[in-house]
Amino acid sequence: MNVLEVTDLTKKFGGLYANTNINMSIKKNSITAVIGPNGAGKTTFFNMITAVYKPTSGDILLNGKSLVGLKPHQVTKFGIARTFQNIRLFHDLTVLDNVLVGMHHHLKSNWVGALFQMPRTRHAEDNAKKEAYQLLEYVGLADLLNESAGNLSYGAQRRLEIARAIAAKPKVLLLDEPAAGMNPKETKKLTDLIHDMRSKLDITIVLIEHDMKLVMEISDYIYVLDHGEEIASGKPDDIRNNPRVIEAYLGKGAVANG
Amino acid sequence: MLAHIIQTLPQVIVDGLTLGVVYAVVAIGYTMVYGILELINFAHGEIFMSGAFIGTTVLLILSSVGFLSSVPAILAFIIIIVIASLATGFLGMGIERVAYRPLRSAPKLITLITAIGVSFLLQDIVRFIAELKTGNYIVSAPSLFNDKIHLKTSAILPQFGDALFKSSFLVVLIVAIIMLVALDFFVNRTKWGMAMRAVAQDRETASLMSINVNKVISVTFFVGSALGGATGVLFMIQYGTIDPYIGFILGIKAFTAAVLGGIGNIRGAMVGGLLIGFLEMFAAANLSTLTHGAFGAEYKDIFAFAILIAVLIFKPEGLFGKAVVEKV
Amino acid sequence: MRKLVDLFSQNKKAQLLLFIVYVAVTSLSLILAQQSVVAFLLLLFSILLLYFLKLNTKAKWIIGLLIVAVLIPFSASQGQAYESYMDVATLVGIYCAMALGLNIVVGFAGLLDLGFIAFFAVGAYTYGIFASAQASKFLHFGHFPLSGESFWIFILIGGIVAAIFGILLGIPVLRVKGDYLAIVTLGFGEIIRIIFNNLDHPINITNGSMGIASIAPPKIFGIVIANASQFYYVALAILLVVIYIVTRLEHSKIGRAWKAIRDNEIAGQAMGIPLVKTKLTAFAIGASFSGMMGVVFAAKQTYVDATSFTLLESTTVLVMVLLGGMGSVPGVILGAAVVTILNLQVLTEVSNWLNQLNTNGVISVPDALSPAKMQRFIFGLLLILFALYRPKGLIPAKNQKYDANKLKKSTTKSMYVEPQVSNDKKASGGSEI
Repeated sequence: MNVLEVTDLTKKFGGLYANTNINMSIKKNSITAVIGPNGAGKTTFFNMITAVYKPTSGDILLNGKSLVGLKPHQVTKFGIARTFQNIRLFHDLTVLDNVLVGMHHHLKSNWVGALFQMPRTRHAEDNAKKEAYQLLEYVGLADLLNESAGNLSYGAQRRLEIARAIAAKPKVLLLDEPAAGMNPKETKKLTDLIHDMRSKLDITIVLIEHDMKLVMEISDYIYVLDHGEEIASGKPDDIRNNPRVIEAYLGKGAVANG
Repeated sequence: MLAHIIQTLPQVIVDGLTLGVVYAVVAIGYTMVYGILELINFAHGEIFMSGAFIGTTVLLILSSVGFLSSVPAILAFIIIIVIASLATGFLGMGIERVAYRPLRSAPKLITLITAIGVSFLLQDIVRFIAELKTGNYIVSAPSLFNDKIHLKTSAILPQFGDALFKSSFLVVLIVAIIMLVALDFFVNRTKWGMAMRAVAQDRETASLMSINVNKVISVTFFVGSALGGATGVLFMIQYGTIDPYIGFILGIKAFTAAVLGGIGNIRGAMVGGLLIGFLEMFAAANLSTLTHGAFGAEYKDIFAFAILIAVLIFKPEGLFGKAVVEKV
Repeated sequence: MRKLVDLFSQNKKAQLLLFIVYVAVTSLSLILAQQSVVAFLLLLFSILLLYFLKLNTKAKWIIGLLIVAVLIPFSASQGQAYESYMDVATLVGIYCAMALGLNIVVGFAGLLDLGFIAFFAVGAYTYGIFASAQASKFLHFGHFPLSGESFWIFILIGGIVAAIFGILLGIPVLRVKGDYLAIVTLGFGEIIRIIFNNLDHPINITNGSMGIASIAPPKIFGIVIANASQFYYVALAILLVVIYIVTRLEHSKIGRAWKAIRDNEIAGQAMGIPLVKTKLTAFAIGASFSGMMGVVFAAKQTYVDATSFTLLESTTVLVMVLLGGMGSVPGVILGAAVVTILNLQVLTEVSNWLNQLNTNGVISVPDALSPAKMQRFIFGLLLILFALYRPKGLIPAKNQKYDANKLKKSTTKSMYVEPQVSNDKKASGGSEI
């Protein structure tokens, strides 16, 4: 069954087509990679799904419901969470608070309850904190719970972003270059984490990534974008040998010369 | 009622034009800085005010040494406006260097706070210098262009009343138009103008294209502030009396003009300034008649503000602006 | 020497002892030296010392309340300057509460509000109009002035009216661009002043530039609160409530959301925070605090006119927040106290002193440079210097620390089990597509 269905999605900036007629069907509980050279329009694609940009035309369906025209925070409520290519944490907040913010839309606590310390609110807050702590343990950041997010190492910041996104309890998780800037060891840990999230948390994962080793190892299905257009899609083995993909990455002639 | 409006129309046009060009030139200062740094430079209204005071100082010095009586007024005026705009140009550049540049990577909030701090500081420095020298912070400048001109607009249409103005009106109008045209040429036709537009569009890429971003920003501040200062002189010439607080409300109105025209858009700021000037003068002349005396000219300052809110609700990108897309 | 300092900073008892001696000396000197402003200020300063003592929070609160509610009024009451001291202390309380309100907008949510005083004016006029004969000039029903007992209800009403103004102003602006808020509020502050100053025609609502006089002072259980020494307790009580509200909000869901959008708007939205609504809440709550304190101010002065609500006042409150530390509740209280005392006591004292020197012919400082006139210069300079060199203020904001052990205890049945280390090959089969 398809969780996320994208049909003819197009984004035009002025006269420039950043995405042209993208079509994707993403199966429930799968790991899908979106790859392509720099400037292929991958992040633009994510930005449309999360309503940061409004599509010029086309539709995005999550479990059959259209997301087009919603506000970013509503999309999150519908069940899509994301991380960012250039990490966007809440730098001055603690690690645990970052995760708590991720729970914003499903946390049953309002300001009236907070003011009068109503039992329901306190209960919800206490549980949220415990859950946030568990999430930090899950991504291996529990020891740093009181640290300011801005002080974390690069790899830790990427993992915190993932924890924050899972905290929103998404059906679909979008990861924008999660392995960028990581060393091989960190990448390995990340790979395991992604696998584990899929199997244990029942999440569908879509990721943009340049690390081909990671992509080939992890993905069930791959879409390749170039110049805003979808040039290929298929299982990792098909993509590996697709001449159009090799051409897009290495330029014309690369195929002919071997 | 309509008769009154038509009758006062020629005078409203003359007054609105004077005020409008003043707003237009000051609005350009806001729009240039916003275009390049995305910063509302609160101190810009005070730059304008400083220009007025520097101009008055030069004028008073010239008249005390008897220079004024020996040369034509227009020559004295040129000397005054050149000195004032150079001084305010450097003042603006200095403010950017000291107060804004160290904060370029800081949160916007902090920079806005320094801007309001600079604006307060300038107000008070000018206040105590003026008070120290003259005993009062409200200063009257001797007038340079005093000939009354009577425009027989009633000859065109019998319903029109006549428009009255001082010859300074023509000076203000001509000088402001020269500045607007020159600036437009500078921004669109010169190397520096091109660099400025490049930095405004994408600072990082511009710096990769070997544009010295800091220098471009300095030049932007110099040009914007020099124009602001020169407008201060025009204001002084036209209205005669100045005080250290004239820049505040005028600054808000000029900023409104910039937003109305589309922030970052220089030609938009010009049009916006003229519109606001007209509207304000129209309100001042007719508000009392239109509301049967319920509201008078004391409410004219509210108009710019109401326009600002209306623009934000209905056309936030302004008349000539493009909606911007934030990079994620 | 350094060792000694280290030792002292660890030793609870020594600190406490020294603190008690300090408080005793300052309060005694306030009692004995009847007109000593210095002793009064030093006694107030003890609260700051208390904040840095190594004691638990509860003990600090109890000691602090004792000093503020009992010791300071008592020591001051022995001299002739009693009422004037209490007047200053009352205003410190009012400004602290206001600055805490602005701190929500600027410090927590990161929105610059330069017209904060406009909401204060709205609150002040709301009470002023109805608690004086003014209302009967345009309302032809009801009996005005309302009695001083209505004051307590009006604190709420003033807050609500100010919040409504805040929302009406915030909706168009916050929908568009955060940094326009600064200039729009700046304009709004000026507009409100102009309107209040002119609204004596066509309908006389505010009595124009004449202002509204003979506003009823608050009344409780039949007692009229007219003196500064009585008002002090009203201000203190309100301040305590405000501190409670602000700290509660800060550590709630909405507080985290404010700080999140301050740090990164886009990420905040992506985490499910409604941007406009969240900003608007901060803006409206901040405005309502300002409105409430306006009611208190009007009742205290028994007179309002538009001249009390200038941009200078708005900036003064902003200086309090920046000086103390944006987002830091203790910092903002300190900032408000320092700036208020600087404004009301230090600047006037120094000016008087300079005047005396002038008349005695010792030195001659021109009137233009009299410190009482230099508020703009001083505040402008403070804003620039703090923004450049100490943007986090005197007492920087600290994040709430969580106790890992407490959270750990209950993690027995976690839904997130730590991932197993997989083999190099694909570990999980992966669903076929």
